[in-house]
Amino acid sequence: MLDFLRHIFVMLELELRRVKHDRLELYTRVVQPILWITVFGPAMSGVRGIPTGGIPYTDYITPGVLIQSTTFTSIFFGLIMVWERETGILKRLYVTPTSRYATVIGRSLSAGVRAIAQALIIIPVALLIGVKFISNVLYLISAFLIIFFASGGFASLSILIASFVKTRERFMGIGGALTFPLFFVSNALYPVKMMPPILQRFATFNPLHYTVDAVRSLLITGEFSNLPIDVAAIIIFDVAVFSLATASFGKIIE
Amino acid sequence: MSSAVTVRNLVKVYEGGVKALNGINLDVDQGSIFSLIGPNGAGKTTLMRILTTQFKPTSGEAYVFGLNVVKHGDQVRKLISYVPQEISVWTDVSGYENLLIYAKIYRLPSSERRKAVEEALENMGLTEFRNSLVNTYSGGMIRRLEIASALMTKPKILFLDEPTIGLDPSARKAIWEKLISFKKDYGVTVFFNTHYMDETEHYSDEVAIINRGAIVKSGTVKELEQSLGGEVIHLNLNTSSLKGLLKRVRELNGVREVVFNDSEIMVIVNDAETTLPSIMEAARVEEVAVKRVSMTKPSLDDVFLKYAGAKLESGGRVVEVKQLRGAIKRG
Repeated sequence: MLDFLRHIFVMLELELRRVKHDRLELYTRVVQPILWITVFGPAMSGVRGIPTGGIPYTDYITPGVLIQSTTFTSIFFGLIMVWERETGILKRLYVTPTSRYATVIGRSLSAGVRAIAQALIIIPVALLIGVKFISNVLYLISAFLIIFFASGGFASLSILIASFVKTRERFMGIGGALTFPLFFVSNALYPVKMMPPILQRFATFNPLHYTVDAVRSLLITGEFSNLPIDVAAIIIFDVAVFSLATASFGKIIE
Repeated sequence: MSSAVTVRNLVKVYEGGVKALNGINLDVDQGSIFSLIGPNGAGKTTLMRILTTQFKPTSGEAYVFGLNVVKHGDQVRKLISYVPQEISVWTDVSGYENLLIYAKIYRLPSSERRKAVEEALENMGLTEFRNSLVNTYSGGMIRRLEIASALMTKPKILFLDEPTIGLDPSARKAIWEKLISFKKDYGVTVFFNTHYMDETEHYSDEVAIINRGAIVKSGTVKELEQSLGGEVIHLNLNTSSLKGLLKRVRELNGVREVVFNDSEIMVIVNDAETTLPSIMEAARVEEVAVKRVSMTKPSLDDVFLKYAGAKLESGGRVVEVKQLRGAIKRG
């Protein structure tokens, strides 16, 4: 078990070193969410029809676009696995005396490292433009943990996809087709109550929806009644995709 | 001497019915440098990937240091290092960081880790470039880094899949010198796939020729060369319609074997000087123009031509790998 955790931490360290060497990628990843909160948010604030529960609209969507950007990064994390499959990296990792579960979970949670790095840029920018966060360090840390593990889940989902599609072009297509429904059929930009019932039903199966809800309650609203359900949903999601991705990992190699 | 690798009746049929291995039998001695040589698609990589526990054979058995690669994969993985044909280091971090991560994956104790990494860099002549990102390395340097990380963990056996493919001659030589000296120091067994005949000839203690999923001949380089016996006459011809000529030559006295490949014939004879005139006469009768004749002692190339029935033509593959490597470097 200790070895298992240690291997996961080695994978996280690798990712941290990669992020350190290529900051440009990180910066380009945060451009989009920053546009959402600096342009889209203020523009839509004039529309009073969105029931945000008394919170300014930009504040309302800040957790939503934050999670959107970290989720997108994570979903396309599978691309790295497709790439590493084309090179020999995965073959070599597969031949090391470490648990294959630890490799898959470690690589998945590596996406969490990138997600945290993104959040560390987006949140200060949001503060600068006047978004009011709850000032509580514990809440902030909890939100980061949720982002970390949710991103790991989405990355695992993408590893799972990668094990089936195996080429970059197809992966790009599927990744693109997946990310926008996840984003729009959630409470990232508006409460799900505004959606037609059928879409609301879909939202209950959308892990991004629960992630946004949890992070919003911890950073913005301080309204925790849904938090246990959110956390439970993310745990179930993680366990499911971690197991499925590990089971299919051998397929990526063959 | 006990075996480092033992393979018995190994068969691998891929999904879709491609039969990659067709009953392989093989023994590799501990502490030797073993070379598996064969044309593209002969099954070299498939065999190595089964031995390194990446996937299971369809039937048959394989052992590494007496451990069954299917049943005791976990233990096998602790003894081996493996360098695949493709790039297997992370190109977006430095050489030092690559080795550090691998040292941690292999759980080298933290007190020894730094020393092991520095030593590995030093051994492969990479100390100077330790902090440069790998995507600035040349192909040869990347290979050396991969081998450094494979040797850093002090494996009992090192599997190398086409270790020098796409590298220039001086880089190839440098890699082999490092490997030989490492073998002397630590007694590691080296199992490598290649299609460079000269590497097999110069560096391997034992050779096996693989063709269409089966081992067609094995032994030391010397044994293989002597197995042909006699002398070899090569004829370069202007035509490739050789039927009549082949038949005539086969019937000559003192001719042991005739192998042809495109417009070239290889004739294995007891004594070249006495047989050559009759061969030339046969060519004249068949009205085949001979462009060039040479007489030699059998070389590994001749052995290969005889048992694999083809020359090692690998141009396409090398270009492919070079392109992949280039693409990776561009990232």
